[in-house]
Amino acid sequence: MLIELRRGMALHPCTFNAVIAPEKVMVSALNSNTDLQRFLFLYVSGNYSRLLSSINRSSKNFEVQRAFTSHQLFTILKEVSHTVLLLEHDPTLFEGAENMLPQIAEMLKDIGRESLVILYTPSIDRSFSVLMRQADHIIEIAPAEDPVGTTRHRSSRLHRTEGNHPYGQRTLEVT
Amino acid sequence: MWILDSAYRNGGVDLWTKDRTVTRIHHDYVPPFYIHFHDPHSHHEMIDVLEERYRSEECTIKTIFGEFPGYSVYAGRDVAEAIEKQANFDADLYNVDVRRDQRFMAEQGIAPCSTENDSRFSPEFTHELNIAEVKVLDDPALSAFCSDIEIIHDETTLLTGQTKDVLADLFFIIASIDPDLILMPDADRWMPKIRKQALKYDLDMPFSRNGKYRQMDSRSYWSYGRMEHKESALIPDGRILIDTEQSFVYQEGGLEGVLMAARISGLSPNLSSRFTPGTLISSYEVYEAVKRGIAVPFRKSDPELVRHVATLQAADRGGMMFQPSPGIYENVDELDFTSMYPSIIVQSNLSPETIEHTGRRGFLPVALEPLLDLRITTKRLKKIDPKFAGIDSILKWMLVTCFGYTGYKNAKFGRIEVHEGITGRSRDILLKTKDIAEEMNFCVLHGIVDCLWVQGAPIAALKERVEHETRLLSEIEHFDWIVFEPMNDGTGAYNRYFGRLSDGSIKVRGIAARRHDTPEYVRDMQGRMLKVIAGAKSIAELEQIQEEVKNIFRDSVKALPAAPSKSMAISRRISRLTYAHRCLEGAAVQAYQKQGVEVAPGMKIRYVVTDARRYQVRPEWVADSFDIPFYTALLEKAWTEISFAFGKEAGPEKNPGNFSHPMAMSV
Repeated sequence: MLIELRRGMALHPCTFNAVIAPEKVMVSALNSNTDLQRFLFLYVSGNYSRLLSSINRSSKNFEVQRAFTSHQLFTILKEVSHTVLLLEHDPTLFEGAENMLPQIAEMLKDIGRESLVILYTPSIDRSFSVLMRQADHIIEIAPAEDPVGTTRHRSSRLHRTEGNHPYGQRTLEVT
Repeated sequence: MWILDSAYRNGGVDLWTKDRTVTRIHHDYVPPFYIHFHDPHSHHEMIDVLEERYRSEECTIKTIFGEFPGYSVYAGRDVAEAIEKQANFDADLYNVDVRRDQRFMAEQGIAPCSTENDSRFSPEFTHELNIAEVKVLDDPALSAFCSDIEIIHDETTLLTGQTKDVLADLFFIIASIDPDLILMPDADRWMPKIRKQALKYDLDMPFSRNGKYRQMDSRSYWSYGRMEHKESALIPDGRILIDTEQSFVYQEGGLEGVLMAARISGLSPNLSSRFTPGTLISSYEVYEAVKRGIAVPFRKSDPELVRHVATLQAADRGGMMFQPSPGIYENVDELDFTSMYPSIIVQSNLSPETIEHTGRRGFLPVALEPLLDLRITTKRLKKIDPKFAGIDSILKWMLVTCFGYTGYKNAKFGRIEVHEGITGRSRDILLKTKDIAEEMNFCVLHGIVDCLWVQGAPIAALKERVEHETRLLSEIEHFDWIVFEPMNDGTGAYNRYFGRLSDGSIKVRGIAARRHDTPEYVRDMQGRMLKVIAGAKSIAELEQIQEEVKNIFRDSVKALPAAPSKSMAISRRISRLTYAHRCLEGAAVQAYQKQGVEVAPGMKIRYVVTDARRYQVRPEWVADSFDIPFYTALLEKAWTEISFAFGKEAGPEKNPGNFSHPMAMSV
């Protein structure tokens, strides 16, 4: 089971992926994937969701759980047993709870050993930067109207695998 | 022993009691917090260290979800947080952040502003407080010094002159009269300044009865989608100091409201006057939990249940509304459910632990039931005796927020499913009420969550049947006529209406006269219009006074250029300090900063628009001109709102003063 963000750019099972992309890219990737219906899918959002109203929700396997605090997110991650986990990042969860970020990142990595984990945000912030340090792949797709270009280089201590991917995305492989 | 104040000092609780004289009684009290490890074996080393370094004992922790094995640890919050981190957050902590003086009183079954024999839920209570009023007549936003102070006790004393002399006299008088309670507008803005000046002039500040003060930091925070600001506060020990200008509880409930809030929540009146109704209701729940031996969770870690998205969408829909057709209606009755949401919590047994275990009685309904009963009593009593109005108002606010609090992310005893359950039940009730009304040949005009506006008769029969079928109490208000305002697209607005009640008064919601940001001049004009139309008992009578009301508008526009600039001040609560786009609010923030006034998100500011097209404003106190076309437009808008009472043909009258170009005019 794969989730293809763009042609040639797929998210694989048993990986933890941090994705920074416009909302429509994420929505399109989820809605166009008929395979998803066959797998247990958990969508976790924070205090608000940018994607939920646009996602095709006919699948019986598509489940939702909201975390309003970092501790609730901790409990959700501790109990998750779905094939795909999509976590829509909400930085407000970590306001005043920054010390939980490394633990949450570690849990996402652990879950990613058996499930496909997607940590998603349309724009990067400090707490997302901490969480994505444990990701197997970091994918950033810049909005089409970005005058600078469609690619953003993320300054990271992570090892990068450079390559010319469609739409100029960079996939950063963690070894 | 009437408890006046409480504070946690020197390893114990200081209770300040009033029995003719005021006495401080110190009770040694070092309470533990509780910890439940999900996997105690993996933390055995930490448990050993806790036993060695602090007093730590095995115990059973009683929570609303059941009992769990754990440890009581006699240490502070810093230790609790360190344990939490070291346990990789795989532990549940309880009673870490409960106020120790509140916890002590809850455990002892006592409460502030009451004696041991008083019931906290009695609407009748007495006090023998020695009360003084202190008014600093200088502007707290502009002045760091007090040069003009009025003290009202048995007589009124006016102190003027140099700051040092004024403060020395003030301190002498306070020490002499030794009040138990000081009512002081802007106390929280003045007290830090007064203390600074007292230190500078080496004066002994006598507001505290033992020289000690508690400090509350200022903060800006989001509440119900709005940025709020709370001033820092310097709270004296052993004496109640109420900031009558900033205290929401005092403004809504008066002194009786503050004292009742203290009795109910178990917080000292110094705190109950400074807290929001949301904090008061959460404190009340904490007090009730401690009283019952239930541990109060430190973190909110229990998430909502996993749901299919369609289930979530069906559950999370908020309150029910019926959109009205805009216009004027005669002989309308408003059926209003009394404390609908808290009644639903109690009646439907909605509590975090009953979502999955419906059989047992939940903590929330048990805790809220006496509060709800008390509110029903005070609502009845205030109609007979106005002294209960303040208490009723505070109880109403606390009960209103108890619903929202169930969905608040950090609520100790909240859960989103409870929140959804309440709104779900309320939708059913309003729909059922509408069906009953229509079945009884009433015409339903409008409905908002817990109110329904209907035309028809007999209304008493409808009320009786609705109460019987919903098992909720309700009240009826009869309107001789009512106007439902339109929205910009022409459809009916949900929350903007005004009408004449059968007692001849006017009930107003959402229009200029009711809005906080309306300039005084505009509010005054609309107020005079409402006063005139209050004399009309029917639509036919309204038509007869149309010209009289229109003349108020014309006269107001004509008199506008000569009006004082201060009456044009717009009051706004600022949500931020920097704005991406040019706007009047952003200009006002800059104007305040230019005047050297520190502003913070959530603070209220008042400004006068001097040129709307160029986004030019001035703070109220320096404004000497205003943008006449801008304010003419506000007058037109306020008149338009009223004009719907005369039918569509009345309409607004544009520019009767012929001010068609922006101009700032000096007065």
